[in-house]
Amino acid sequence: MKNMMDNQLYTCVLVSDFNLQNFAGYAANDPEFPNLKPIAAPLGQPVPTLLDRAAPHWQNTPDLAVIWSQPQSVISAFHALLKYEQVPVRKVLQEVDEYCSLLANLSGRVRYAFVPSWVLPSYRSVFGVLDMKTEIGLTNTLMRMNLRLAENLEKISNVHVLNTHKWIERAGINAFNPKLWYLGKIPFGNDVFKEAAQDIKAALRGMLGYARKLIIIDLDDTIWGGVVGDVGWENLVLGGHHHLGEAFVDFQHALKSMKNRGILLAIVSKNEEQAALEAINQHPEMVLALEDFAGWRINWQDKAQNIIEVLTELNLGPRSAVFIDDNPAERARVKESLPEVLVPDWPEDPLFYPATLLSLRCFEMPSLSREDLSRTAMYLSENQRRDLKKSVRSLEEWLRHLAIRVQVEALHPANLQRAAQLLNKTNQMNLSTRRMSEAELMAWAEPQHRRLWTLRVSDRFGDAGLTGIVSLEIKDRKAQIVDFILSCRVLGRKIEETMLSMAIHHAHALGVEAVYARYIPTSKNKPCLDFFKGVAPRFHQQGEFFIRNVEHPFPLPDHIELVQ
Amino acid sequence: MAMNDDITQMLFKVIDELNQLRPREEHLKKDLATPLAGDFGRLDSAGLINLIVMTEQRTAQELGRPILLTDDRTMSRINEVFRTLGSLADYIHLLLNEKHDG
Repeated sequence: MKNMMDNQLYTCVLVSDFNLQNFAGYAANDPEFPNLKPIAAPLGQPVPTLLDRAAPHWQNTPDLAVIWSQPQSVISAFHALLKYEQVPVRKVLQEVDEYCSLLANLSGRVRYAFVPSWVLPSYRSVFGVLDMKTEIGLTNTLMRMNLRLAENLEKISNVHVLNTHKWIERAGINAFNPKLWYLGKIPFGNDVFKEAAQDIKAALRGMLGYARKLIIIDLDDTIWGGVVGDVGWENLVLGGHHHLGEAFVDFQHALKSMKNRGILLAIVSKNEEQAALEAINQHPEMVLALEDFAGWRINWQDKAQNIIEVLTELNLGPRSAVFIDDNPAERARVKESLPEVLVPDWPEDPLFYPATLLSLRCFEMPSLSREDLSRTAMYLSENQRRDLKKSVRSLEEWLRHLAIRVQVEALHPANLQRAAQLLNKTNQMNLSTRRMSEAELMAWAEPQHRRLWTLRVSDRFGDAGLTGIVSLEIKDRKAQIVDFILSCRVLGRKIEETMLSMAIHHAHALGVEAVYARYIPTSKNKPCLDFFKGVAPRFHQQGEFFIRNVEHPFPLPDHIELVQ
Repeated sequence: MAMNDDITQMLFKVIDELNQLRPREEHLKKDLATPLAGDFGRLDSAGLINLIVMTEQRTAQELGRPILLTDDRTMSRINEVFRTLGSLADYIHLLLNEKHDG
């Protein structure tokens, strides 16, 4: 899938009151996936460009748009403030609201829109002490404008405000160069554009379902200083009044913060397991606890092999993982064996560990769902299910013991975010692998001849959250199953059959004679084909189509409690 | 001689920077004969602006002395100064020597 997508060009409309040619250059020529094809809207006319829905660059629904303006160009009240005319902040914010309503209209025109926040050149420091005063200070007003911009656009799911100040800080002294402005109407130095292009690509990767979900870390000299097998946990460098110890503690805090945002943590370390676990459990300055890790392999085996085992256990692919190790030889080995695992270059000095982790651009997620935030707990529950499976005699007995409950809901604003996330991230059990923004998905499901349901799966060990989607499109007394999506977290528990039973039941109630599913192959969704080929009661297969008369109901699996 | 080498190496870094903005097939060669502006030049106006700003920045940072490439003296002979990477290197050498002499 990635290889196929690697070559895909994503059209990117650039709307600005200044020259974005340098940004376009970086965006188009940066070798990182995804490939962008910038299309420049007429220079210097952001408002007319936003108003003109019929303009050529908006045709064929571009993949993304970047709307980058200078505050004085689009907010005339702020332009007056720059000249130190008396303008109440209320008037400025009113214009920001009007500008936001123009940006909100983009929602249906592009799949994703990015709006960099407003900045002023950092050399503008006259009246310094007044700068942060309400109604007087330009920076104070600009901060309010940016906050208003973010708050207004927060309601539009596919329009995202980006933090330009971060790019300015990273570019440092080269962030602004008046010469570029006077020669080329370019307000920023190239380092700012380079940072912007990288951030926008990272955001797009997340939206396309390519965010990394798992950090696999080494232990010795990575999350603590020293080799625990040699010095014992009591003598590890961790915490205390020591610059290195503090850096390791901060690194652990950074890892924990990632875990709290839904990134899984795992350990792959060459060590005696007992000694390593003792250190994690006993060291008083450990920030990370054993329950923060979704899995671990602590032994003397090859690390690449251990990583594969952890990935298998967590049902994740190598493209989901980041591997962090202080040892360059181990990093090189993993890079060579598992090229899809991201292995960042790692600083020799532990003082740079926290900053290096927090500057990685691979965890971008367009939204955070309840499922994301409790991901580690879900994987720990999965371990309990696996243990139960080992203790029973048959699959049926295991399923009965699980006491699975499936709650079905129609698509609505409260579950839209997670549903879109699932639609865009699921690869294996995915019939048609459609990728849509939240707005596109909602718009698709609205017409009367379509139905889209989400499934929330729970059992005695926990709540797996919203993990399934099934949708129907009805035409000429036939219903097509358009989406048939199930998270790999709950595969193989007959939720698949439950989805079919429910879809066929509804299709029958709607007066439909037959349902059919069209399997659209990708490099990853063969499990879906295998399911449709092998499911009982059977579907009749004609090439890529699977057809079934709805006269006879499709039975609901005995062990499932269905709540509609 | 040493200064010539320093200028050439500095300009090659500028070319590396410029190439990040260009498709691979349009990359500029790190060669003093590479045409820049004028009839056979490889740079459009935006490319030339970038070249000027990057060269000024790098000259100040790496050779320790600022130069000006947007004054009337340079602009009046822009096609000559920016004809090739080599002609630009010669011009920078001239400017730095003038500063040194002054």
